[in-house]
Amino acid sequence: MGKSQVRNNIRKLRFHHNEMTQEQLAEKVGVTRQTIIAIESAKYSPSLELAFRIAFVFGVPLEEVFSFEDKNFMNTKE
Amino acid sequence: MSYQEKNTTVSLITYILILGFYLVNLFQMYREEGLVSTRLFSLWAIVIIAAILVNIFASILTNIVLSIVHAIKTKTNESERFIADERDKLIELKGVKASYITFSIGVLLAMLTFVFGQPPLVMFSLIIFFSIAAEIIGDISQIYLYRRGF
Repeated sequence: MGKSQVRNNIRKLRFHHNEMTQEQLAEKVGVTRQTIIAIESAKYSPSLELAFRIAFVFGVPLEEVFSFEDKNFMNTKE
Repeated sequence: MSYQEKNTTVSLITYILILGFYLVNLFQMYREEGLVSTRLFSLWAIVIIAAILVNIFASILTNIVLSIVHAIKTKTNESERFIADERDKLIELKGVKASYITFSIGVLLAMLTFVFGQPPLVMFSLIIFFSIAAEIIGDISQIYLYRRGF
């Protein structure tokens, strides 16, 4: 399993929220720090529930945290 | 290394030790007097019970040791969060899948020994071997997934 097609801005958002640490974010959303690391590096796509929780912690809509990039899928849509 | 990863590593080591014990005893028995059912049955019982008990105690011990290490490191009474989140559960599922596939292949191979005219004791010995090997493969695949991120 390679990199997921779900991109994210978690690193940037953490920085803009008083340089929140991965550990702090992990604690707030109820997962381990390793999971936050895996999500940040796009190795793991979180569940919809976890994605919403992360967005809720930063107080932004889901689309501002996560984006989907799959060129093949986008081409088939057109 | 997360708590789950450490726990899986301990489980892997215990299963490797149990498999080693089983194989050493099995080959020793085979060289001395061939596969004798009474001795073989007791060996299977020891191995199966050891696999269950050792794993339970190893898990409890890991928990205690990790808590002590964490308390010494942080110098607080606050215990480490031993939670299994969604990623841990998915990794565990993948490990179980790897174990299941290994065991299924093992059972098929064990059945094949009948084709070559081997006694049932050989088949059951192979099934026991593959059941422990399946756990080892499951643990290795879990550790691999933890190391890679997912």
